[in-house]
Amino acid sequence: MIDRVALVATRELRAERRQPDGVVAAVTFIAVLVLLESLVVGPQIARDADVASALFWLALAFATILATMRSFDRELEDDALEGLVALPGGRDALFGGKVLSLTIVLLLVAAIGGLLSLVLLDLPVALPIHLIVVVLLGVLALPPIVVVDVVLALRLRARAALVPILALPVLVPQLVAATRGTSAALSGDAVGALSWAGLLFAFAVVYTVIGLTIVPAAIE
Amino acid sequence: MTETTIPRGNTLPRIRPWLGIAAAASFVVASVMALFWAPTDAVQGDVYRILYVHVPLAWLAYLAFVIVFLASVGWLWTKRPFFDAVAVASAEIGVLFTGLFLVAGSIWAKPTWGVWWTWEPRLVTTAIMFVMYVGYLLLRGLSTDFSRRATRAAAFGIIAVIDVPIVHLSVLWANSLHQLPTVLRAAGSPALDSSMLLTLMVSLFAYTLIYTYFMTSRVSLERARQGRLWTRI
Repeated sequence: MIDRVALVATRELRAERRQPDGVVAAVTFIAVLVLLESLVVGPQIARDADVASALFWLALAFATILATMRSFDRELEDDALEGLVALPGGRDALFGGKVLSLTIVLLLVAAIGGLLSLVLLDLPVALPIHLIVVVLLGVLALPPIVVVDVVLALRLRARAALVPILALPVLVPQLVAATRGTSAALSGDAVGALSWAGLLFAFAVVYTVIGLTIVPAAIE
Repeated sequence: MTETTIPRGNTLPRIRPWLGIAAAASFVVASVMALFWAPTDAVQGDVYRILYVHVPLAWLAYLAFVIVFLASVGWLWTKRPFFDAVAVASAEIGVLFTGLFLVAGSIWAKPTWGVWWTWEPRLVTTAIMFVMYVGYLLLRGLSTDFSRRATRAAAFGIIAVIDVPIVHLSVLWANSLHQLPTVLRAAGSPALDSSMLLTLMVSLFAYTLIYTYFMTSRVSLERARQGRLWTRI
């Protein structure tokens, strides 16, 4: 199982390296949102720890949706999905591999987008290690549910509109936890940051288990 | 295949008229009790009487989505079309009752909180639950193949049920303007006057009968639609 997941993830990352449109789109999306934020609400409000954290995680949630949809579009364009699903254990490997590769891609996106936010908004970071832990676990918590929703909406018309409608309401607890955790790390609340990080880890585990249970049954 | 492969039960059409009469009668009794029999609240006055609509609507919203979850598990487990019919029926009714639950809450909020809407956890999580099940119905509407539609919807129906406890417990997890649970309290017995509690229980019973009546009607309709679909194959 682990070998197959690693195989799918490696193949996915190789495809992303050769044609990094998913990463580029996600990073550009975050950069545009950060720039727009300070223009729309003004630099003083944009620098508020709560506002900056909320915008970063909302942007990252949309970036996750973008990257996941791009990843499945690539499969559909190459007619690769049927072959993968037909392999023994292919459905589990598809879910696991996609989640793993997307997590790695999103860590890169979060690192670039996060640094961009810190520099552009000139945000003071009170607890850098805590911030890294929260971002790491927040990134782990996003892809499982988005991959499930993209699989459910596969080959449907109006898919681009449907996936955010399905995914964002389910992501609310993760987004709240990630935003509060990031805000706590930025403003120096160590206990708060670690509590929210723990909750994010629990979400990541729960939704990965749900995904591994549901996706093999749901994928056609 | 020229015949339907779905067994058609005869029990639902037989009991449905009686269920409708029982639902209508209990609704009348509950309304009379809520408007005339239950005492006036010492703090809120008569405004509080919307409780006898608001709480049953909330209960039905939770019940409907839990039924969607159970029926979704049933479909994925057995692939029997009956479960899909139950899931879609309950989701549609659940969306209707959640919408009414939000409207009733908003009407109650205006005289008590001074606003139609406020960004507090119970209201926001309920609105999110509403959007989530609208998404569920959209997902169904965009799929054309019966089996794929049922499977996709069942998978989402299982995920979406996680929002039900979040809505209910949101008032405990965050600082909330909304009052804490009055009936299902961790502290023990309900914090309500006995005649108010009785009226609330009668209202809950009446609204549950209404839900059951709607369910039997909608499930029958969906089963008939499935029957037509299968005879065409």
